[in-house]
Amino acid sequence: MIKSTKLLALTLLAALALAGCKKKDDGHDLGHGHDHNEEELITTVKALFMHATTGDTVEFSWEDLDGDGGNAPVITGGTVQMGAAYAMRLLLLNESVTPSDTISNEVAQEAEAHQFFFSTTGGSLGWEGYLDADANGLPIGLLTQWSTGVPGTGNITIILRHEPSKSAAGVSAGDITNAGGETDIEVTIPYTVL
Amino acid sequence: MSCSLVLNGRVIDEHDGEPLSFAEVFIAALGKGAVTNDQGHYRIEGLCPGTYQVRVHHLGCEPVMREVRLTSSTSIDFKLEHHAEELRELEVIQARPDEQVGQPTRSIDREEMARAAGTGFAELLTRVPGVTVLTTGPSIGKPVIHGLSGNRVLILNQGIRQEDQQWGSEHAPSLDPLSADRITVAKGAASVQYGSDAIGGAVIAEPVELPRTAGISGELRGLGQWNGRGGGGSGLLEGGIKGINGFGWRVQGSGRYLGDSEAARYTLSNAGQREWSGSASIGYRDHRRGASFYYSRFTRELGILRAAHIGSTTDLQRAIESGEPWYTAPFSYAIDAPRQTVTHHLLRAQGSIALTDRNRLEVNYGYQANDRQEYDIRRAGRSATPALDLWLATHTAEAVLKHWIGNQVHGKIGASAIAQENTNMPGTGVRPLIPDYRKQSLGAFIIEHMPVGERLELEAGARIEGTLLNVRRFDREGRLQTPEHRFTNAAFALGASYQLSDSARLRLGLASAFRPPHVSELYSEGLHHSAAAIEEGDASLGSERSLKATLDAEAALFGGRLRIDATVHVSRIEGFIYLRPDGTRLTIRGAFPVFRYTATDALMGGLDASAMLKLSPRFAWRMGGSTVFARDQRKNEWLFLMPADRLENGFLFRTASVGKWRAFEASATHQAVFEQRRIPVGLDFAPPPSTYHLFALSASASRTLGKGELRIGLQANNLFNTAYRDYLDRFRYFTDARGTDIVLSVRYAFGRFAGQRLLDAG
Repeated sequence: MIKSTKLLALTLLAALALAGCKKKDDGHDLGHGHDHNEEELITTVKALFMHATTGDTVEFSWEDLDGDGGNAPVITGGTVQMGAAYAMRLLLLNESVTPSDTISNEVAQEAEAHQFFFSTTGGSLGWEGYLDADANGLPIGLLTQWSTGVPGTGNITIILRHEPSKSAAGVSAGDITNAGGETDIEVTIPYTVL
Repeated sequence: MSCSLVLNGRVIDEHDGEPLSFAEVFIAALGKGAVTNDQGHYRIEGLCPGTYQVRVHHLGCEPVMREVRLTSSTSIDFKLEHHAEELRELEVIQARPDEQVGQPTRSIDREEMARAAGTGFAELLTRVPGVTVLTTGPSIGKPVIHGLSGNRVLILNQGIRQEDQQWGSEHAPSLDPLSADRITVAKGAASVQYGSDAIGGAVIAEPVELPRTAGISGELRGLGQWNGRGGGGSGLLEGGIKGINGFGWRVQGSGRYLGDSEAARYTLSNAGQREWSGSASIGYRDHRRGASFYYSRFTRELGILRAAHIGSTTDLQRAIESGEPWYTAPFSYAIDAPRQTVTHHLLRAQGSIALTDRNRLEVNYGYQANDRQEYDIRRAGRSATPALDLWLATHTAEAVLKHWIGNQVHGKIGASAIAQENTNMPGTGVRPLIPDYRKQSLGAFIIEHMPVGERLELEAGARIEGTLLNVRRFDREGRLQTPEHRFTNAAFALGASYQLSDSARLRLGLASAFRPPHVSELYSEGLHHSAAAIEEGDASLGSERSLKATLDAEAALFGGRLRIDATVHVSRIEGFIYLRPDGTRLTIRGAFPVFRYTATDALMGGLDASAMLKLSPRFAWRMGGSTVFARDQRKNEWLFLMPADRLENGFLFRTASVGKWRAFEASATHQAVFEQRRIPVGLDFAPPPSTYHLFALSASASRTLGKGELRIGLQANNLFNTAYRDYLDRFRYFTDARGTDIVLSVRYAFGRFAGQRLLDAG
């Protein structure tokens, strides 16, 4: 009697335990199929400045092909013409995978949850405004308008915020102060106006 | 005032109601006492009216202290948890961790847990002076003993070392405090007893002993919590089998459901949490042999404050400057990314056999599986895919021989083994935070106790342990690397316990401890989101080795009217691993500070003390506090993130009955946590928060209901809705801590859980 009761209880307990401990991923070989490549990594920011009248395009870029750490990023500035209007298109890539991923497409798909902000130093290059909008009619910033003044040099800072408060005061006009959200990109690239 | 009152009654076995003879009933303050006769009766005469601490002691049992208020001659029965058959075993060795002679220990029993209803595991432990909590927002807390936490505090659950990815400061211990009968905090280094990691101390969740006789006992608890608009409940049922002495079973389950918390001025969005846990155990024991099996499953899902998820140092700077969370939303129960889900399984099998009358062999095996997913805010619908998915499986086995050498020396000799495997589950699309690894360790230890005369007891012990760590990781080019690390460590413990008088005891301990570096310290690489920092491991790090001295005093003075306890500690940790700033790195999210795991030598010390003064039979004043000093000896500066000084004051009111209600208790407490001024220069993003004061009220009472006992409690924490931030809260850069909380708790207990340790005098 004692034995059978104990046996029964033991069996029940074992069944409970086994039911609880689902063995995940049977036969998983340690180390294989691992995520040593980041899916969401952004390695590259390309800013393509297109002259409004001539259509000439200048590429500015910020590249860190191996992601955070490892080799230092490569920053390539560009030269634009004085006294002109430019349209700038942003291209975001993950070049750590082959073929490379176009992250700017993901941003465009989730346009409501993303917005770019721009600032410049030096005074020769100025941001004029957004040329695109999401489904709510609020700006994204993948396409923007710029103008150049007198020759000079300076830096462009490009910031991408994820889940910003787009309708907060000033945000849709490009003022980052009340934007909130978290920073996905914050890069600074030098420019020259000739 | 007549001093002719009589205290009499019986001392009986709590389980079977059998009388216990030769039990001592003693009033230390008066030096008066009596011994029970063979019917279990005792009688103490010539007592004055007043309140006394009565100590009841029986061979092989833990002494029971009870407060008795005498206004007239009174009859009181004492129940001791005791089994005559076990007497021999208990005489040989008491296995309770508070047997550690030199170790300063403090326990929290089920009653105390009931008083702290609604608090998490780590927060509950802060009732012990010297224990603080390292939090990550309102939903995650880890216990800190004398300034050390994480991998430096060992948690022992059901006799098994808890292995639940405790290296992460945002990884809270995965266990339900209610599955333990009491929780003991050992504040000295404890590697001899428990192996690696017990540098700061150990937290021991002691299992409830299984019943041995028929009869159902149980406990039901309910909880309603205002802040978080949720609550919880738990149930426990146990029994034996009629006619089969020695056999017992227990099932236990609990749950908790909370929505967003409220800080003083805003909602802490996405800070909800849910917990479900359950356990079942069965066992058999008699005076020669015993076996038990236990299984528990614990699941927790929690949200991480939305506003603490940031992408760059600019975001962090912005959060600090604005002084409030950038994201708040109306209250919600929803838990969105960033969030965590953790399931922890524990299976334990235990057996013991008396080899001879005085030697006993115990074996203990545990299997733990910790299944952790962390979800981040990601693009393109990936928020539903975990960014971190770890499966940690651990086998632990221990064999201990409890023995006597001659008539004086007794102790334990044992061997322990651990095999652990950590697996990053594929499919996260994120480079793993820590690599896969296999860890094996093997240790052997001995610890002996020897009484010297009536008052002094000595203890000495040693352990040797070897650890083999095999890591599998991919480098940046995707090549597999398989580094191997070996660590060999030794520890010793010396302890002395000196009974100054019947009501005062000193404990002196000198013990060493060790901790091989965790894989995260060797191989971390990458961005820590909420910390806005890049953390880099160092594969050349060696083991931490510490030496800790503790002096612990407990005394009841002035006839028990004043009770004090104090612990002084000093420790030195060689090779103390911490994160040292190492420049900045430019990333696509801007420049980040880089922190590298680095070893230094640390010197720490401090004092914890508490005192309780009885102002009248019903009123008492309680005071407690702690302070910790911690220096980096190589850089000659303060160590980062050490608990600030704190001081607690409280008034307690207790009365034996109010109408039909018994054991009425009420308290008002004030806690002051001072600004931490002992900080390293240039290591923190923001200065430490200022001093804050919190007030709390609580009241509870019991009454008989049917065959059981009902206890209802109401407490209000942070009474004045004070807006404050704590230095040990990793989210203090982003938000205030929780505002006012009101907790209503109900407990119904029957069988042996009814009336446990309640005042029954008067």
